[in-house]
Amino acid sequence: MKTKHLVKGMAFLFFILETVYLSAQDAGEILRKVDEVMYSAKDMSGVQVMELTDKNGKTEVREAMIMQKGTEMRLIRFISPASQEGIAILSLPGELMYLYLPAFARERRISSSAKNQNFAGTDFSYEDLEARAFSSKYTAKMIREEENLFVLELTPINSSGVYSRIVAHISKMEYYPEMTQFFDQAGNKIKEARYRFSKVGKYWSPDEIKMADLKKSHTTVMRLKEVKYDTGLTEDEFTIRKLVQ
Amino acid sequence: MNRESSGPKPLLLECLWVFLAIVPLSSLAGGTGKEKPVNSGKESTGLNISGELFIDQRIALNNRREWVWNENRLSCKMKKIQGETVRFYGEVWLRNFGVPRPGSVSALYDKGNADPVQAEIREANIQISGFPFKRSDLRIGRQRLAWGTADRLNPTDILNPYDLEDILDFGRHRGSDALSFVYYFNDVFSLQAAYIPVFRPANLPVGIFSGIFESPAVLPGGFPVISYSDTLNFPQMRQFKDATYGIRLKGLAGNVDFSVSYARAYDGLPLVSENRIFPATGQYGVHIQSTLSFLRNHMIGADMATSIGGAGFWVEGALFIPEENFIMRTDLSSLYPQSPVSLISDSLIVCTSQPVLKFIAGMDYHFRNSTYLNLQYLHGFIHEKTRNDLNHYLLIRFEKRMFNDRLNLAPLSGAFVFSSLNRLKNQYALVWMPQITYSLAGTTDISLSGIIFHGEGNTVFSGLKRRDMLRFTLNYFF
Repeated sequence: MKTKHLVKGMAFLFFILETVYLSAQDAGEILRKVDEVMYSAKDMSGVQVMELTDKNGKTEVREAMIMQKGTEMRLIRFISPASQEGIAILSLPGELMYLYLPAFARERRISSSAKNQNFAGTDFSYEDLEARAFSSKYTAKMIREEENLFVLELTPINSSGVYSRIVAHISKMEYYPEMTQFFDQAGNKIKEARYRFSKVGKYWSPDEIKMADLKKSHTTVMRLKEVKYDTGLTEDEFTIRKLVQ
Repeated sequence: MNRESSGPKPLLLECLWVFLAIVPLSSLAGGTGKEKPVNSGKESTGLNISGELFIDQRIALNNRREWVWNENRLSCKMKKIQGETVRFYGEVWLRNFGVPRPGSVSALYDKGNADPVQAEIREANIQISGFPFKRSDLRIGRQRLAWGTADRLNPTDILNPYDLEDILDFGRHRGSDALSFVYYFNDVFSLQAAYIPVFRPANLPVGIFSGIFESPAVLPGGFPVISYSDTLNFPQMRQFKDATYGIRLKGLAGNVDFSVSYARAYDGLPLVSENRIFPATGQYGVHIQSTLSFLRNHMIGADMATSIGGAGFWVEGALFIPEENFIMRTDLSSLYPQSPVSLISDSLIVCTSQPVLKFIAGMDYHFRNSTYLNLQYLHGFIHEKTRNDLNHYLLIRFEKRMFNDRLNLAPLSGAFVFSSLNRLKNQYALVWMPQITYSLAGTTDISLSGIIFHGEGNTVFSGLKRRDMLRFTLNYFF
């Protein structure tokens, strides 16, 4: 009798462990597929239009040129407004980030604490805009499956980031995120992003990302226009030399 | 003074000059055609004009409440990209600056006296990318050569002359008519060589800040100074002997951005090389006639910046080695013509065997609640030339941004200056500059700040005691 119970118990434990293991593996696999969708192009360039809306409905528009190569090289250069024209941010492998302010005629290294900050008054933090694969920053756990969505919980591998966790709603069909919810270190939901993708050539391209800061009732809609993929951008485009020009 | 160079010959710059002279300009048009253009994808653009209207008004917080600063500046920045390799950049300032002080009615016939206007070319240069090598950039014309990684106060940033007009605008430099060549070994290592043929001195603080770099004359016998005149002994303009030049290697090692640099340059602020004292006729006192000369240094610099535990750290140092001893001669012989002994004495001001190290160390941190802290320690300000002159400067800026960066409060901003811990009570200065800035629609910044000076002794800022002011600025960007 005891043996029967032991076998049943072990079988149940094995089932639980296997379920947990498979779930973790599946979630990690899903996240890697998200990265493949988000970063499958060799390179990308375009113009980001950011529309900021405050709780009174007042809007401001900012425009920046963006270039990206692989998952870890990104250059963003502001076109407007005039007060920010020429300000540029270079993101490189190894968590290196540089800021170029034309008024000072030199680049400045951005300390990693700056990644906690909002990017140029938008609701995106520098960390949100980092060109790094999700799977290199987060471990994923499946929360649930819905009809068309996987709902994953992403926990930062490095705890020094802005968020304690992110809940990501991933399209089952195309593996791009449809919505992400961001939680602060105290566990409060602080931001929510909704995505709209469309196909440009063979790639899914984020036409629009709407980020809402739930505490401030402030939103930023980021639209990507004039987007081009695989134009043959070289690593030379992502250097200090190019940043300061 | 003998101003013949005792330093190394500027061989590198001569080679660079010669090389540039013999490289055919036709290579600008695409070279061999085998090399891939550096700015691939860039197209020619029309002339892009942007700029700023800057209004700066300051009022003294004394009983007279007078306006102590009046600046209305229109700066225009022009940019044009020509083809794949040539970029033009220009920046011009047009401004009404200062208050009219015509001395006579005849002066009013000149509109410039009634309404002072200044025009200034801050920068005007052409940069040729990929010339003469694929991995090099050449920039010719008036330009800013910003060296160092510290925040605004850079001991190694000595190629351009200091623009000290507004002493509160730390680190402002004018452009220099220069030739700059940068060779990029790879994505992170580069070597820059810069050559500035004509020396231009620093311009001194004006208005309420004028005279803050001057030391009071101490005379034997306590004679009062009736008048003072000076002559500036300006360097000659020989092709290489009097030129400013420098070289800088820049790179990234591990997580550390660094650079090492060398420059040979005149110090932009002159030193007194001779004082002649004459008795005043019919009065008790003296006239002082001074000659001032410019000291030339070899500068060996190094700087680094990194990020540790989320905070940014930087260190930058410059070792100034005078090219020759700088001696100040004092001549009292006219004061005591009957003296049986010589009344001409020499004092060694700066010595070649005593290099001066100026350095800065700083850190900054962005807190999660949109606050920012920046701390710096500086040893040796711009005007301090000898080891004994060097003061200690603790600088702080604490900011809090609100309403999606529209409002910026900087309640703690300023500097504490002291010469030594032993003399803290009677030799210090405190500058406190609380500031509030509001940004409107990304085009306009309005700022109000107080500038409070406090101190004792003769540090550069303690001399500004009782010159507290309220400052209003407006920046409109277009």
